[in-house]
Amino acid sequence: MRPSAILFKGRSAWKGPYFVAFPNLRDALLNNIPIRTQARACTILPNFVGVRFMVHNGKDYIPVHVTQDMVGHKLGEFAVTRKRFTYKATKNK
Amino acid sequence: MVFILGVNLPDRKVARYALLAFYGIGQHTAKRICARLNIHDTARVGSLTSQQITGLASFLSSPATTPPPPRYALAGPNFVPPPPNSVSTIPLRGKAQEDPLRSVRIEAELRREVRENIAHQKMIGSYVGRRHAMGLPVRGQNTRNNALTAKKLNRVSRYA
Repeated sequence: MRPSAILFKGRSAWKGPYFVAFPNLRDALLNNIPIRTQARACTILPNFVGVRFMVHNGKDYIPVHVTQDMVGHKLGEFAVTRKRFTYKATKNK
Repeated sequence: MVFILGVNLPDRKVARYALLAFYGIGQHTAKRICARLNIHDTARVGSLTSQQITGLASFLSSPATTPPPPRYALAGPNFVPPPPNSVSTIPLRGKAQEDPLRSVRIEAELRREVRENIAHQKMIGSYVGRRHAMGLPVRGQNTRNNALTAKKLNRVSRYA
């Protein structure tokens, strides 16, 4: 397999990775301000490392701290969209 | 009976299908390996020469370091027959340069790679890693009923 094929799993190499430009990235890195975003499909690029994100899960924003190992994954992979099932006893029987 | 890397290849089996006993070798790879070692499609394990068996053993023990086979010159318009066993020196271009059998991983090495990939996902806390830890399907399958394959395989330390 070509090295680019690992990087862009299932995506044409000429397109490169899909990502969203965050204009406040540098600011967020310096001042440790979390970036609120709904771009779950955005690939984590090497320059995102160390930035805190608030990734939308469909309802609210989940804090995600980007580390070196997360590069190449998507932001959405770290914000769970499903609610854990909990059993609630019915009130009216 | 041929023993290679602790796997038993019974004499009566066709060599191409006997190779499927190795974890990580499917029909396609088995066919390629046989082609490389000049093993006929219908040859049975019992009929392999000792040279072919040692070739198999040496390839399977380290696919990445086994040298690619010598290439013989193709005939051009002004073809002059080369002396027998001469090796082509024309450089390959494009995809032909990549040796598909070089990246073959089998048995313990492949199992370790799978385990490492899952451990990586768990370590970074991605959705895939969480689903593995929970023993549930990873790729969006329904979990209303069954999900039995995932419950069987996606344990804390995966086997298979």
